[in-house]
Amino acid sequence: MKIDNSLPLEYSTEENSLKILGFWIFLGAEIMLFATLFATYFTLENRTGSGPTGAEIFQITPVLFETILLLTSSFTVGLGIHAMRIGKQKAMITFFSITLLLGLAFLGVEIFEFVTYVHEGAGIQTSAFTAALLTTLGTHGVHVTLGFFWGLFIILQIKKRGLTPQTTNKAFIFSLYWHFLDVVWIFIFSFIYLKGMM
Amino acid sequence: MSQLFPAKQVLGFVFSLLLTTVALTVYFLDMSFTAGMTILLVTAFIQAGLQLVVFMHAGETKDKGAIYTNVFYGLIIALVTVFGTLLAMIWDM
Repeated sequence: MKIDNSLPLEYSTEENSLKILGFWIFLGAEIMLFATLFATYFTLENRTGSGPTGAEIFQITPVLFETILLLTSSFTVGLGIHAMRIGKQKAMITFFSITLLLGLAFLGVEIFEFVTYVHEGAGIQTSAFTAALLTTLGTHGVHVTLGFFWGLFIILQIKKRGLTPQTTNKAFIFSLYWHFLDVVWIFIFSFIYLKGMM
Repeated sequence: MSQLFPAKQVLGFVFSLLLTTVALTVYFLDMSFTAGMTILLVTAFIQAGLQLVVFMHAGETKDKGAIYTNVFYGLIIALVTVFGTLLAMIWDM
């Protein structure tokens, strides 16, 4: 294994660089996946049948909380990667833990939101609109849930093995995933919620 | 302690909060649909670009070209999917 010391640890071997590039290609596919969900949502958003419309069920407060929580978690995971690059393992684990706690808080607010929707008579089978809405939000939420456990295992592995070319590579790829989820949320926030409440 | 908070990332975060605030004006202020959508499109895409460059370190290594090509490819497919669907299903063209 050839280690190039001029690069950050997570890029230091050929395999590491390839893994990062490979993950970007996966993210490209994820962009397309979410595009199909958005296309479906935009097609069906006015097909509310006898169910409520977006303007009737969307509330700004939980949406604002979710946005701030996810934006901040994206910032802290970025700080985690910075700490990792300057070799500060403790600081990195702290930043990663904050990130996961913010992610968990995000999920809490989102679950609360879903429960509210169902109570207001907007379940997944109510109308074409609610089906498209909950599928899009749900797909994002499932990604965050998966990311939470992924991040948890990364923290445990770094605690056990320290900062090696392998663990830093995994942590960096996790950070790409987490930032990507924030990007998707920005589009949900703008083109589902704010557009719906405008 | 201060070395744990690099200026680039802190500024990136402040700027992303600022963009969110600007996007929120479409909710709190009264404006036309076109004006609102213009603001949302601009803020959302700047925000996405910011994440990509500042936080995801997209342009840092020799794979820069491949990474950006791939992201733009994904983005083009995404835009064709969304606007193609809108054209056929909503705008009736």
